[in-house]
Amino acid sequence: MSLLQEVAVGEPDPIRPRRVTGPTARIVAGKILRAVVTLAFVVVFNFFLFRLLPGDPIGLYTRGRNMDPEQIAALREELNRPIWEQFFAYIRNPFDPGIDSTRFSQPVWELIGERVWPTVLLLGTAIVIATIVGIWIGIRAGWKPGSRFDKVSTGTTLTLYSMPEFWLGMMLLIVLGVGAFGLPGFFPVGGIASPGVDTSTPAGWLNVLWHMFLPCLTLTLIYLADYSLVMRASLIDERKSEYLMLARAKGLRDVMVRKRHAVPNALLPTITLIFLSLGFVVTGAITVETVFSWPGLGLLTYEALRGPDIPLLQATFLLFSIAVIGANLIAELLYVIIDPRVRQ
Amino acid sequence: MAGLIILAFFVLVAILAPILISPESLDVTKATGERFDPPSLAYPLGTDEDGRSILLLLAYGTRISLTVGLAATLISMVIGTAVGIMAGHFRGAGSHALVGVTDWFLVIPFLPLAIVLATVLGPSTLNLIIVIGITSWAGTARLIRAQTLSIEGRPYIERSKALGAGNWHQMTRHVLPNVFPLVLANTTLTVAIVILSETTLSFLGLGDPLAPSWGAILDSAFSTGAVSQGAWWYVLPPGICVVLVVLAFTLVGRAMERIMEGRT
Amino acid sequence: MIRRLIAGVAAATIVAVPAAAVPHAQAADPVVFTVGILSDIDSLNPFTGILAESYEMFQLQYATLLSTSSVDFTPDAGLAESWETSADGKTWTYTLRPDLVWSDGTPLTANDVVYTFNRILEGRYEQRNYGNYVRNITSVTAPDDRTVVMTTKVPSPIMERLAVYILPEHVWSGVDAKAVKSFANEPAEGETLVGSGPFLVVERRTGQFIRMVANDNYFKGRPQVDELVFRIYNNPDALGQALIKGEIDFASGLTADVFSTLEGQEGITTYAGSYSGFNELAFNMGAALVDGTPIGDGNPHMQDQRVRLAISHAIDRQQLVDKILDGYGTPGATIIPPTYSTLHIDPGTQTYDPALANQILDEAGYAMGPDGVRIGPDGVPMKYRLFVRTDSDSSVKSGEYFKSYLAAIGIEADIKPVDENALFEIIGRGEFDMFEWGWVVEPDPDYQLSTFTCGKRSYEDGGEVYADLSDSFFCDPEYDALYAAQSEETDQAARAEIVKQMQQIIYDNVAYVVTYYYDNLEAYRSDRFTGFVGQPEGSGSLLFQYGTYSYENVEPISADTGGEESSASASASPGASESADAGGSTAAEETSGGSNTGLIIGLVIAALVIIGLVIALVRMRSKSTEDMKE
Repeated sequence: MSLLQEVAVGEPDPIRPRRVTGPTARIVAGKILRAVVTLAFVVVFNFFLFRLLPGDPIGLYTRGRNMDPEQIAALREELNRPIWEQFFAYIRNPFDPGIDSTRFSQPVWELIGERVWPTVLLLGTAIVIATIVGIWIGIRAGWKPGSRFDKVSTGTTLTLYSMPEFWLGMMLLIVLGVGAFGLPGFFPVGGIASPGVDTSTPAGWLNVLWHMFLPCLTLTLIYLADYSLVMRASLIDERKSEYLMLARAKGLRDVMVRKRHAVPNALLPTITLIFLSLGFVVTGAITVETVFSWPGLGLLTYEALRGPDIPLLQATFLLFSIAVIGANLIAELLYVIIDPRVRQ
Repeated sequence: MAGLIILAFFVLVAILAPILISPESLDVTKATGERFDPPSLAYPLGTDEDGRSILLLLAYGTRISLTVGLAATLISMVIGTAVGIMAGHFRGAGSHALVGVTDWFLVIPFLPLAIVLATVLGPSTLNLIIVIGITSWAGTARLIRAQTLSIEGRPYIERSKALGAGNWHQMTRHVLPNVFPLVLANTTLTVAIVILSETTLSFLGLGDPLAPSWGAILDSAFSTGAVSQGAWWYVLPPGICVVLVVLAFTLVGRAMERIMEGRT
Repeated sequence: MIRRLIAGVAAATIVAVPAAAVPHAQAADPVVFTVGILSDIDSLNPFTGILAESYEMFQLQYATLLSTSSVDFTPDAGLAESWETSADGKTWTYTLRPDLVWSDGTPLTANDVVYTFNRILEGRYEQRNYGNYVRNITSVTAPDDRTVVMTTKVPSPIMERLAVYILPEHVWSGVDAKAVKSFANEPAEGETLVGSGPFLVVERRTGQFIRMVANDNYFKGRPQVDELVFRIYNNPDALGQALIKGEIDFASGLTADVFSTLEGQEGITTYAGSYSGFNELAFNMGAALVDGTPIGDGNPHMQDQRVRLAISHAIDRQQLVDKILDGYGTPGATIIPPTYSTLHIDPGTQTYDPALANQILDEAGYAMGPDGVRIGPDGVPMKYRLFVRTDSDSSVKSGEYFKSYLAAIGIEADIKPVDENALFEIIGRGEFDMFEWGWVVEPDPDYQLSTFTCGKRSYEDGGEVYADLSDSFFCDPEYDALYAAQSEETDQAARAEIVKQMQQIIYDNVAYVVTYYYDNLEAYRSDRFTGFVGQPEGSGSLLFQYGTYSYENVEPISADTGGEESSASASASPGASESADAGGSTAAEETSGGSNTGLIIGLVIAALVIIGLVIALVRMRSKSTEDMKE
């Protein structure tokens, strides 16, 4: 679930070279193959797991509606195809544009298409800010462990790290959105834009930014807690390495050592870990979008699970998995390309 | 140290909750307060939508949250340790399969997977424990596997192999005792994460709605409009409890790690 | 593709569209009435949509043959100004109003009615929403342009309740039986959907709003407001805030919390209207198939009327209303809600009385066990599964209350939260003891009454057991005979008497413990609009009625404040600004939302990256100077 656990436990870095030999192409092909196999498992798992669900969707659909029994039987007929037939239909196209969400009576694919952009906007912004600020804090804290800055920042980030992100969101919403403890509520309580605002005008963008402020702040704080702790840990590791001792012994100025050698080296695993942490990012998206009624994929997942709306739930799970597996693959490939040690 | 004190306090509350609190006071039909009363002498943390004392709910919730947290961690640790040792000990297809499964669980995003599993199993405290248990073991398994590989390289294991010790004997007598300190340190860190997971899943309505764990209390607060009414006393305390417990476990875990690093 | 199809149909058949598309320019600013709703519609196609919000659009867009009175729900004139039935009750003749026209100017004739009904009679897909209305009909003909004659197999009062939206043949004949399944029925850019109701859809943005304009050709006269906009909000809080801020003029389907916060706000009137829904605690009274074969594993105790009666006495309905509905409702009695005053009865005998409940159980031989749980005469303890629905917070909450009420009379309830989908199957298979659910009752009680007939119990098909409408498995020949009698009684007063007897039977048998009738919580800007009409008048809901009375009658409050206010609400309307950028190609229409957002994302991220870089650089420089000082 979290980056911190991996690093804190001091485990060998997951993307640090495993003893791989052979030309880069082979490594790359191997990694792509692994991602594809992982994904294939997700698809199979996704299909069979949901067959276990109890329920009579057709019955529920017809409850309270004026329908003939023959009609209901005919509807059931459509649904009760042999499982293998269903399975092949599913794997042929898991994102079949013809499958309707049971909650929205709208093709799942269409719903996702509408909801993907708000999520990209919110998460993208939060990740970018969290990366910049988080790494900056990590560098300052990690270069002089035990300093006052380190103590304060590590304490703060550890506390943030211990927080359920949606709770932070709810508190921010109460204090800054609704208004409590004598503060007036300045920020909107939810949504992506005020109704009637045309989001294609500059005023509309400002309106979106205004709506985005609280959810984005929530996610940024939570993400930067993780990122800064990771950066701090890898910088501390780097400081211990022999070449740095050597560099300092040779009389290089502290700041030069940090900027030219330590930080760039510590940055690589951190950035890669940020890529690898997309699964953790997704968790935040689901709950925080829910709290702020941000109309993205996270809220869609929440809406899908209150039902539950199986076709929609299947699709969001698959989509999140693809995103995370894809990000992992990119991180691993980047590492192969950037870090010569992997290629050996 | 602070971590240990916090933990001791919460464990005490969890144990004493049923003694200190009569079930009457949590019975919705006998609630005495008004809907969403702000904190007062009678209700130090105010009341919920049924007029029940939030302080009492919270105390009772401690019990549920800690139970779920510890039980799920136990499942996670047992699976993680077993898979890790086996994957490290054996060679060949079986080992590859175990590593493959571990990697799969590591890559798949936790919350969507947990949501899917919890939806299929249905909402109950036991199912919540199972879901969290089986979605959180993979990190441990990888860690233990790495450790197992390094232990198995040590000379005395080689010797016992040469003496014809069986797989079971090797794994339980030699590997397990050696990885155990690591398992322990990892456990405290896992508890922290598991409690966060419990809170998140309960907030999403995937736990037993009638068992007021901290996450479930936050779910009630959210779905009954406590946020829009500015009823901060309904939202703030459960979150603080979560932060304190998670922080405490994390601090204790890190301290244990440091001690172990010092030893090796 | 679908959109292009409508565009094609519309272009081929509609002449004077642009005039209708532009809101009527009597004043510079059109009067816009904006309603906030909590769920988007699922479809504008009346054969596809099933949500209440969708039905609201259908009845605004398309008139029906007859309507339901706003006074007391009795059948009233619609497109037909008069109707009569033959002596044997099997032939019905409807006479349409003179000079009816569709919104595009095409005459609306009896042929459109015949077309719509035949389409449903012959169609498979079309029967989904309207099957029950046409099942009894054998033929629909139009002797002349203003007369529709229908013949039926048996006499039936449902012929006065045909809630079938009459569709324009000249538009819908272009949508064949295959295309109808995926037909969105959304207007092409800048055009209005052809209809006969008070308002016409001009624009829909999924998840955001539906915009309608007044129909000049509406047969009851053009509505007082020019535009009607339905805005979709994700949660009740946002809905309440929107009303306070004046983004909307009317909020429907509020929760009690939000409703309370709106009370007393300046310029806002809150209104708890009686509604036609109820919730119940239901029992497994002996699950069986239609042929009587027992199914499931329900505890036989539940078949003992005394046990059910005791439970009914143990439940404090008033407390449920106070706590779960926050007082916005009335304690339950029978399966026909009091809003239908001509049909509802309240025997009032099953009062909250735990002592009496305990006495009933004692006398029935369910003796108290050592652990506070009674033991039945069969030696089985009174421990029952009680299912609640995770889809509804109030259902889960009710479960908590039931558990406590039952514990007070020595019954242990094992609360099982499941989703409605799963519960439906569990009920159908009879694998339950009790559950909590609810119904919304139509003005015609037939459907609701049918859920207690023997013939609606579960059925078997291909080795699988499927649920029908009965969820109590109540089966009583006397009740069935009365059901048959009311379904053929075309005299409304005589029918009401039968319906009352039937309610009494259900009540006395305690097939359901009807827990409460909930109110529909609405609030509106009374500083801007007035003229709302409740159904039933004086106490019922203002919107989401069986009819469009409020929409037809709502008017801006007065000329001078009205101008100001309406311009405020007009600025909240999506109309003007958004139609301006939408004049481009049809392809752009599909993606315009996406590309805009994409653009914003790009810009925002770029801006943030730049800001971040600047900050980082500045910090680094100041940092390095600091470091050098060290």
